[in-house]
Amino acid sequence: MRQLRTGVAVLIIAASFIPARVFAQASVNPDISVIPRFVVTSDDGGDVNRGKRKFSQPDFQFQELELAIQSYLNPFSRADIIMTLPGPDIEAGKLGIEEAYATVFRGLPFDLNLRFGKYRAEFGKLNTMHPHAWPFISAPLSEEKFFGESLNDLGMSASILLPTGEVYTKLTVDLLRGGSIGDATGIADTTGRKPTYANSARLMSFFTLSDESDLEVGLSGYTGIHDPYNRERFWYGNLDFKYKYRSSAYTSLVVQGEYLANTRKAMQDRTLHQFVNASDVPEERRISTSGAYIYADLQFMKIYSIGSRYDWTESPYSKDDGGHGVAIFAGFYPVEETLGLRLEYANMTHLTAGISQNVNSVALQVLFSLGPHKAHPF
Amino acid sequence: MKRAAMLIVLLWCAMASGMVRVVTTLPELADFTRQIGGDKVKVDFIVRGDQNPHFVEVKPSYMMKLKSADLFLTIGMDLEMWAPQIVDGSRNSSLSVVDLSQAINKLEVPARVDASLGDVHRFGNPHYWLDPRNVRPMMEEIVEALAKVSPGDEGLFRANANAYLKNLDTRIAGWEQTMKPFAGKKVVTFHKSWTYFASWLKLDVAGEVEPKPGIAPSPSHTVEIIDLVRSAGVKAIIVEPFYDLAAPDQIGRATGAKVLQLPTSIGGVDQATDYVALIDYDVRTLAEALR
Repeated sequence: MRQLRTGVAVLIIAASFIPARVFAQASVNPDISVIPRFVVTSDDGGDVNRGKRKFSQPDFQFQELELAIQSYLNPFSRADIIMTLPGPDIEAGKLGIEEAYATVFRGLPFDLNLRFGKYRAEFGKLNTMHPHAWPFISAPLSEEKFFGESLNDLGMSASILLPTGEVYTKLTVDLLRGGSIGDATGIADTTGRKPTYANSARLMSFFTLSDESDLEVGLSGYTGIHDPYNRERFWYGNLDFKYKYRSSAYTSLVVQGEYLANTRKAMQDRTLHQFVNASDVPEERRISTSGAYIYADLQFMKIYSIGSRYDWTESPYSKDDGGHGVAIFAGFYPVEETLGLRLEYANMTHLTAGISQNVNSVALQVLFSLGPHKAHPF
Repeated sequence: MKRAAMLIVLLWCAMASGMVRVVTTLPELADFTRQIGGDKVKVDFIVRGDQNPHFVEVKPSYMMKLKSADLFLTIGMDLEMWAPQIVDGSRNSSLSVVDLSQAINKLEVPARVDASLGDVHRFGNPHYWLDPRNVRPMMEEIVEALAKVSPGDEGLFRANANAYLKNLDTRIAGWEQTMKPFAGKKVVTFHKSWTYFASWLKLDVAGEVEPKPGIAPSPSHTVEIIDLVRSAGVKAIIVEPFYDLAAPDQIGRATGAKVLQLPTSIGGVDQATDYVALIDYDVRTLAEALR
């Protein structure tokens, strides 16, 4: 018995020196960042139709809270989850998924990148930028008219670098569910039928002009169904460019713009201007409308910025719906993007059924950012 | 059979001895790589000497540099937080990323890290290349990385590295002799970039113009630094060329201390044409100011 106990004790002591085979992977936390935005706004559009111009009482609003969770899944792919709590009611809002996608960026044939999930499509330059990263507060009129909030849909995307020597040229194509455009540019789909897919593509090139300046140009296309009852298709074509000049470590100038052309079949191209055939019967015809913006933003002394933007747009269905105007904006970022203040004055003329209304607005935005800050992409 | 085997070995050696394509973050890493590799390497770098290596915009042109590279050499220790996005964007599955900090004796490793401390590097102060004694372990890492890609040239790489280090040791002894009279002298720096440089030359960094790393100088902190410079008899305020001189100049005017724009990278000033010239410029300029 004593020999047995001794033997067991020896075995136990010996076993403690045998290294355990551990298969569990050490846990690695994702990057988590939170960016809330608040705004105080006032405008004089309230009584302008009665010939009175008086700025409204400043309205404190919660704009949005963005919660981003991002991480590598493995050496070949990463995931990005961006949830947003929309305003204006900070207490009643529901956290929704703005983007949730995985990207395979390594290991695929032909150096393909694949993305799948829900994401802002790479259409133009501004669509993939989240509003907290804009140098201005209000969205360009053309983006609002033709996209609503953004071109953001379920789908999958593939991109490839084209063989253009030293010049970076990328082609991205998307197959999307088609549910993004919705009310802003199409008829709400209540048919109950399966949605018809939308397609998007962007061809972009990046040019290093000098040690101090770079230029990116892009050509995008998007097609989807805007009339689910008649399965009518629309087409967007978009030209974009971004130019950046850095005169020093603390001073840079960005000039960016986009021009969007839309074509689709519609029953009219202006209010009370229905298309009719020779027999006076209403008919559909192809209409073309467009929109554009261009802005310049000067960053100086590292923490200040000032800029101006010009907007012009028609609407997807009509040439006498739209608007144009100018916005002037300034920013103060005392400690990178951890804290930001933006001030914007805009004078916009909104056109509805051919009747214009000019509105002056002022907005002050405060935003702050918790969590790691990734380096800025161009 | 023997002939076939020999042919295969020769072919493998030939392939293994092809030019190694290397991209580095900083220009001094490119300099070391050229010294080691000679005409066996093709080298490019991303950050210019007059740029702040902490803040680099992720440009597609940088991804193109990495697209066909074999090796990407980095300082590591979170100095180049922008590097992973450029690596991912390069779509180069066969790219090896080499962190040259592996064998470095790291200084100022923080006990805790949070945003209230400013832009603190969680693995320690990453500006270790400014102590030329750290070039030896860096070059060892570079030799090993190059030899993995081109094993047939390992002997050449080691011989070149040893020759360079022998010359560097002579220069180190000369620089230490130049700075020997100033051991213990206090200096002020703009950012915590000079910790390794100061430790090597036995200088005392009494304070920084930044109130916390990465935080712009504030009026109240500038006044504190003016008081410090006066009370401690600081003669030199060291500022990299890419930082704003407003606060350092104000301190200099108030105290009589010299504001020295010293580069931390090749190309930061015209005279800093390679690593030896970089350190030589910094040592001579500082010695002149401290006399």
